[in-house]
Amino acid sequence: MKYRIISKQIVASDVKRLDIVAPSIVKHFKPGQYVSISPEEGCERIPLSIIDVDYDKKTIALIFKEVGETTRKLGQIPINESVFSILGPLGQPATIEKKGTVLCVAAGIATAQMLPIARAFKNAGNKVIGIVGAKTKKNLMLEAQMRLVCNRIFITTEDGSYERKGVVTNMIERVIEQQSVDWVYAIGSVDMIEAVTRLTAEHHIPIRVHLNPIMVDCIGVCGACRVCVDQREVLACIEGPEFDGHKIDFDYYRIRCNAYEVSQWNNEKYMFSQKRKEEGIFRKFLTGILKN
Amino acid sequence: MAGCPLGINIPGFIRFLREGKAAEAYQLIKKNNILPSICGRICTAPCELRCILQEESSPIGIRALERYASDYGRGKGIRNERVLKGKKIAIVGSGPSGLAAAAELAQRGYQVTVFEALDEPGGVLRYGIPEYRIPKKVLNQEIQEITALGVEFVTSAFIGQTHSLQQLSEEGFVAILLATGAGSVKFMDIPGSNLGGVYYGEEFLIRVNLAKVNLLNRASADFFIGEKVVVIGSGNTALDCARSALRFDRKATMIFRKSFDDLRVRKDEIHYAGQEGVQFEPLVKPIEILADQNNFVSGLKCVRMDYAQKSGQQGWEIIPVPDSEFIIDADTVIIAIGHSPNNLLQSHFAVGLLCNDDGTIKVDVQSGLTSVPGVFACGNVVTNAGPVVDAIASGYQTAVKIDAYITNHNNQQELSSQYVS
Repeated sequence: MKYRIISKQIVASDVKRLDIVAPSIVKHFKPGQYVSISPEEGCERIPLSIIDVDYDKKTIALIFKEVGETTRKLGQIPINESVFSILGPLGQPATIEKKGTVLCVAAGIATAQMLPIARAFKNAGNKVIGIVGAKTKKNLMLEAQMRLVCNRIFITTEDGSYERKGVVTNMIERVIEQQSVDWVYAIGSVDMIEAVTRLTAEHHIPIRVHLNPIMVDCIGVCGACRVCVDQREVLACIEGPEFDGHKIDFDYYRIRCNAYEVSQWNNEKYMFSQKRKEEGIFRKFLTGILKN
Repeated sequence: MAGCPLGINIPGFIRFLREGKAAEAYQLIKKNNILPSICGRICTAPCELRCILQEESSPIGIRALERYASDYGRGKGIRNERVLKGKKIAIVGSGPSGLAAAAELAQRGYQVTVFEALDEPGGVLRYGIPEYRIPKKVLNQEIQEITALGVEFVTSAFIGQTHSLQQLSEEGFVAILLATGAGSVKFMDIPGSNLGGVYYGEEFLIRVNLAKVNLLNRASADFFIGEKVVVIGSGNTALDCARSALRFDRKATMIFRKSFDDLRVRKDEIHYAGQEGVQFEPLVKPIEILADQNNFVSGLKCVRMDYAQKSGQQGWEIIPVPDSEFIIDADTVIIAIGHSPNNLLQSHFAVGLLCNDDGTIKVDVQSGLTSVPGVFACGNVVTNAGPVVDAIASGYQTAVKIDAYITNHNNQQELSSQYVS
């Protein structure tokens, strides 16, 4: 059977990890790439970063937060059943070179995306300093794996329930002051990577950021994932998702990330579309019966 | 008959239809066109422009007759016995030109594999054209017939990214045909194009086409479409977007810079769209998409255009009318101003694949070859834009060229081996 799920774990609250058999993806995988996955036929396709690959079992590991309809459906597929389709690996691999000291900054769910990249930096002979942020201790994930990968790790929680209290940017400031950093890699929310980019610009450190825009087909057709880099609109699904942080137009990216948020819709319009949906189902059910 | 790029024997099949022999008519069309039921629906019908009755009153509805023949004449086709040549050919992309080339090459005895990036074969026919123009049932039938010819489809294979051309030739494919089409968006340089509620035509149509349709939810959108939809563009994609939006019970307005007479769409399509309730605003140019406080679309600022004499030259040009700016109330803006080939992808395909400035692949007209030996290209990835029927014709022609190339190659190899022995 194609794309069989062989293991399923709960990593943190609402966050699940799936191990899926996909030999062809395992063969071509490079850190920083993602797959486009559709749990059922007729479902939306979503991009998910590949967290880990197992070369013996030929599996890829995906970690995702159950927030929307599609991720919830994906989380409901039991072990030993298969996923409808997976396309990958997609996107450009992360630029991994020997730089010296590399600062890997991630917060929340992005910690999972950071793991293969940090590991690759370590294997390339860099000194990896990890800075991991989370809201509370409950939301912190992959702590053990990150500790194994990083030479030094700093964990911050916003409410101070675990290790240091604060956000990742405070921690970066302290680390940059203490020692010289040659390279920064950041993954996370728009606000976080913007703050990190501004900090590194002050200290003249090169930064690479990993963006997570909305994607529909992930093969460069739709244009939903357009971001503005170097005053030029590019498709993140093909040219990205990694970009030079200093060149990104963050206002543009913030609006794009916001564009599909249901709650951000003008209230009146949102109510209208919800009402339409409910009304529509019954009416269309009737016309469906009459037509068939 | 000369009007058809595929060279279908039009008088012949109409004669069969007049005698009531739909099956024979279907067989006759099928000789030249592997996708008759799709051409019967969405062809731009250049043949009707060449019809002799065009000057007198209105031409014969050849497209409609083709559709009739393919819907009612479909039966068990007589399949020619094919002699297998034992050569494998890879076709990248399962759009119209890829399917046509695959069918032609399979009939000539090659072992053809078609690679498609998404879940099901069909390319633009499945993901770019809405259900009401090409029902998925009809498309599945056509693809089934092509599968019956011996063509193998591999889905979820994105050549250039998940597989490289190098790898394909290592797997034993003697020729590779790139039929990837022109599916990438052409960005519109307009302030506010990043706002929420702004979709590109491709995104809108792919979302509509991916939406599950069954008895319970008959085409309910699982993404946000406001009540008032404005479509920018004048092509077939724009018209498809507007009519799809109507099918979600929304108000649709199409705005374009040209006048009605300059549209590149069939007149009857515009007529149908008008009857369905699409509002048209010709000679209007959008200049800004206005945002509300949450960065969603609240309106579209436009300016009226008009014809004016070119300064100091002969001829006319379209220029904005001064002080004619106005705002169209809109919740959703769909931009459908054109496509371009995915030029970034082409640089991934193979080292040394030469492209033109507009992203199309450079092709030798005589042999159909690209700058990489053994790699061919056809369809919209070469011509940049064009109707489906031209893409199909290009697929056929390139298939013939590939056949000639492989035969030549074989002969040369045999010659050289004789020489060695």
